[in-house]
Amino acid sequence: MGKNVIEIKNLTKNYGKNRGVTHLTLTVEEGEIFGFLGPNGAGKSTTIRSMLGLARFQEGEVKLLGMDAKTQSVEILRQVGYMPSEAWFYPDMRVRDVIALAAKMRGMDCSAEAEMLCERLQVDQTKKIEELSLGNRKKVSIVCAMQHQPKLFVFDEPTSGLDPLMQAEFFKLILEYNAKGATCFLSSHVLSEIRKYCGRAAIIREGKLVKIDTVENLTKTSAKHVRMIKDGAEEDFIYRGKVNDLLRELAGHDISDIVIEEPELEDIFMHFYDGADEKEAKE
Amino acid sequence: MTPKDVTKAGHWDERQVETMVLYSHEMKQNLKGFLIWFLVIVGMCFGCILLYSSVEASLSDMGDIFSQMGAMSKAFGMDRLSVATMGGYFATEIAMLHALGGGMFAAILGSNLLSKEEFGHTIEFLAVLPASRGKILAQKYLSMITYCILFQVIGTLCYAGGFAIMDEKVSAEHLLIMGASQLLMMVEVGSICFCISAFSRKNRMGIGLGVAMIFFAMDVMCRVVPAIEDFKYVTPFYYCNATDIFTEEAFPTGSAAIAVFVILISLGLAGFQYHRKDLQ
Repeated sequence: MGKNVIEIKNLTKNYGKNRGVTHLTLTVEEGEIFGFLGPNGAGKSTTIRSMLGLARFQEGEVKLLGMDAKTQSVEILRQVGYMPSEAWFYPDMRVRDVIALAAKMRGMDCSAEAEMLCERLQVDQTKKIEELSLGNRKKVSIVCAMQHQPKLFVFDEPTSGLDPLMQAEFFKLILEYNAKGATCFLSSHVLSEIRKYCGRAAIIREGKLVKIDTVENLTKTSAKHVRMIKDGAEEDFIYRGKVNDLLRELAGHDISDIVIEEPELEDIFMHFYDGADEKEAKE
Repeated sequence: MTPKDVTKAGHWDERQVETMVLYSHEMKQNLKGFLIWFLVIVGMCFGCILLYSSVEASLSDMGDIFSQMGAMSKAFGMDRLSVATMGGYFATEIAMLHALGGGMFAAILGSNLLSKEEFGHTIEFLAVLPASRGKILAQKYLSMITYCILFQVIGTLCYAGGFAIMDEKVSAEHLLIMGASQLLMMVEVGSICFCISAFSRKNRMGIGLGVAMIFFAMDVMCRVVPAIEDFKYVTPFYYCNATDIFTEEAFPTGSAAIAVFVILISLGLAGFQYHRKDLQ
């Protein structure tokens, strides 16, 4: 078992009367690519900001790379590569100046790595930020987060706005850094990304951690994905009770077709999001 | 892992750490605004000095009229200095314009320094750079002070150059006192607006300009309305009034001391608020 790179114990953060996160506990080990799933407003960004010392939390303890988020946030920020969900920069600055500013603040010469990243992500460094689309601003944000080759990456919705080719290149880079020992904390809506690249994932809903496990175990559940044509009408839902009970319930109906299978991660994700107990109709 | 450890690994070179990165960044960000304000205000004032010879004759005719306009003359100091002399023309007209322009520039600069990051959505980029909030605050504030100094020093030098070109003798001592006291005024107005900026997530340029204009109006009014004479302790335009300086009135040290106190309180409040602010 590797050492913990992220340790969050009982984190509680509220914005006045508004809920942020409540009693959240999780750990991420060195070398992991860890997924953090949750709907909008679930508390993903609040958790990340608390981790980096950007939001003052009321309760709990957060350590990144062994450093306390409350008292050592500057050193944490120096050693972490963070990409926020919103990629905003100073509109009148050129891309190369933004990248250089981020490097200078770390007191590092990251020019070689930045060049490599810009080339692979096809970032035009001569352009002004105001001339860039959202996708291109996201790419600049990726370069700023990666150029200093940190030991820990924290990404908040990194691929929104990126085209599929750039998404693939982004994850290729993640895997390369991960192979060199870097840890990655990936907050995302995109389940296919989590399933493909993450070893473990946590699901957060309404500020509370509802599940944390390996992606493999998350998909191993007693829940079943049921699709059938019952009494002439098509039905599609997740069933979490006993199969015998389901069969008994269906006995009095006209079932012309039925498929009962293991649910996809998407189904589990939706289940945790909506908090349904027994069965859940899909869209 | 400390910076020193990384140096050993050949990846981090502490010699390359630029401690004033944010300061120079802020200076670059505000250069255009400074140049516009400086060229407009100081350019106009400089032009007025150069135009003096062409308006001298008409000013000498109007000097007596201006000095007998009652409250208006008192408000603008024309009862004590004649606009028919270069010194009087400069102190009652040009220096007032320079002070008002400088105060407005400091107000705009201060009111945007912190809040612009939030309404421009750049706060997340700035806040995740490895710098303490105290360092961010200090370097931003220092950039404002630098522009105030540049505004006053270069402006005063331009006016001294204008007098030399016009072959007019104006007291260098008066000019220096005026420049220094107007610098204090700019720093005070800028600091108050800087504090407002720390408490806000929106563009507060309008409020900043309002602060400068109200202070200016207070100075004019407290000179003619005895009932509100105590406003002289509130408005920073009082202690930098060029007419008072050029007529060698006793320098209002009380008002200046209050100004220093206001600057320190504003800075302290801004620091307190900025440290407890969450990124949202």
